[in-house]
Amino acid sequence: MKTVFPFNRTILIGALMIVGAVLIYNVSGPAMAANMVPDTENCLLCHRYPGMGRYDENGRKRIFYVNDDKFAHSVHGKLKCKNCHVGLDKIPHTDIKKVDCSTMCHIKEPSTNREFSHINMVEKYEASVHGRGSKENPKPFPEDLPTCTYCHENRIYNPLGGFWGKSEALSNETLARCQGCHTQEGWAKDFYSHFTHRMRRRRTQAEMVRLCTSCHEDSKKMIRHGVETVETYKDTFHWTQVKFDVKDAPDCVSCHVPVGYSSHEIRPKTDPNSPVNMLNRLNTCSNQGGLQTCHPGATAGFATGRVHAYGMKAQLAAAKRFSNLVGGEMSSGELIKERAVIDMTDEEIFHFMVIKLIKLFYKIFIPLVVGSMCLHQWLDYLSLRRRRKKSAGSASPSHRQENE
Amino acid sequence: MTESSPKDNQGFEEPVRERYFVRLNNNERIQHLIFGSCFIVLAVTGFMIKIPENLVSILGGYRETVFLIRGILHRIAGGTMILLCLYHVYYLLFKTAGRRWLVDMLPRIKDLTDMAYNLLYYLGIRKEPPEFDRFTYKHKMEYGALIAGSTLMSVSGLLLWSESMWNKFILDIAAVVHGMEAILACLAIMVWHVYEVQLKPDRSALNNTWRTGLISEEEMKHEYAGHYKKIMSDPELQNIYIKS
Repeated sequence: MKTVFPFNRTILIGALMIVGAVLIYNVSGPAMAANMVPDTENCLLCHRYPGMGRYDENGRKRIFYVNDDKFAHSVHGKLKCKNCHVGLDKIPHTDIKKVDCSTMCHIKEPSTNREFSHINMVEKYEASVHGRGSKENPKPFPEDLPTCTYCHENRIYNPLGGFWGKSEALSNETLARCQGCHTQEGWAKDFYSHFTHRMRRRRTQAEMVRLCTSCHEDSKKMIRHGVETVETYKDTFHWTQVKFDVKDAPDCVSCHVPVGYSSHEIRPKTDPNSPVNMLNRLNTCSNQGGLQTCHPGATAGFATGRVHAYGMKAQLAAAKRFSNLVGGEMSSGELIKERAVIDMTDEEIFHFMVIKLIKLFYKIFIPLVVGSMCLHQWLDYLSLRRRRKKSAGSASPSHRQENE
Repeated sequence: MTESSPKDNQGFEEPVRERYFVRLNNNERIQHLIFGSCFIVLAVTGFMIKIPENLVSILGGYRETVFLIRGILHRIAGGTMILLCLYHVYYLLFKTAGRRWLVDMLPRIKDLTDMAYNLLYYLGIRKEPPEFDRFTYKHKMEYGALIAGSTLMSVSGLLLWSESMWNKFILDIAAVVHGMEAILACLAIMVWHVYEVQLKPDRSALNNTWRTGLISEEEMKHEYAGHYKKIMSDPELQNIYIKS
């Protein structure tokens, strides 16, 4: 068989690695030395090379490069690799386990003097709409459900996220005060960043919408979980404001995770603890713990109904209601159809139908009216042209006669 | 040639007295100007919210400012238009010229026959167009559409403006009606009004009637033959409608 490369592949990769190593050392090596965490496990011996990676069994490109400067400045910058990446005793790492955020890491939390773990958050998360459910009652299609890192992209993989996030005003004065006692600048910055991590917005509203819709607009994924897609959000004025990058414009979390709620504990809207449940809706619209007041004068009537309204479920429920009325049978058994019938109240179906009829009326009325207007004006145009031709025609023979 | 011109004989040129006919008086022209300006501002600032995301991003850092100014302008223009509509009702009821407008604008059986005859004329079945009065069936239909449209737009706009007070269902309806009526109004204005006053082949390059309020005797005879005859037979109407 003919080879494409003139060299043996191993030699080629080896040569590239050496060139890469030289480049990396010369370009950034001395500069990053100041912020580097001591690499006592010696992982960077290999993982410092940007070309490092492989294609996995599914043909997906996996990159194992670690930019140590960025890692040092990430929230986990003070941890050892093996605190999260359990296993790794063999090279190549055939014994590696997937990172589990509920692992006890070996950092002691100073207020309790216990080993730190995200386990309490993970437990809450698994019980939420996005979690995998309990062992006794697991959810179907677990591969669709977002893992911790689906939303929490580590900063290593997020080159745009600067160290100070977006709120500079918050940081500079406070940090200056920290440094009054904590004179070591790197340490003060790291801890300040750590404490304020949750206070700062990592994503713009549009980025947040993009993150949520990356799953919630995937109809195949949503339907098999009995959930409707959310493209109707983009018909709302909420989205219009997000599109124009208006300050505090309402994205997904503004209503689904308002002030006082946790994004790890999103509940279905039928749950009385959900901020979009009818019991809590008025507060969510008008006054989120006195901290966020979007519609200060909202009445109970305003806070009813569906905000990104009348998508797939409304259509399914209305179709089901209609087929019941005419005595027909609608094929059921699909989760989304069953849910639609339970979720949509009679009132909501009525509202949906009224709005649909108004839209339908205009969809017929506008082309009809504008079409007949066009026809009328076209006839007018033709008759004017005809008259012009006639007057030109009646003028020309007389000219001809004169000429003769 | 020059020797026989009247200028040489008389010492001055006898002006050719061309008569003009008043279509819109001062007050009506100002109303039209304000309404038209508001309409354009409302259409531009209104449809701006429908610009797709990738086009909006062209504005970059100015997006928010543009959006806030858009909202303020839309409300100012909308409010002005509502006040103007209310003034127009006052004008129709309490001003002499307004009452004349109202009476001339009322639909009549003649409008139906005019429309039928005019369409037959368009199709070449009748040789002559009907003799239109001051307002033709085209004007009356447009005026009716304007009344209906501005009422719906004002009501739905005010509902959306004071959204917190209303039921979500009512707001949903208001939003649909406001959007759909906007599309209808813009298309109708483009096809019906702009063609009629500007794009028609026999209109001059820039029709100035909206500024002067006047049309020539030629045009008057041709387009509003019925009204022309009425004016010519009534000295009182001549005082009102003829400007020489």
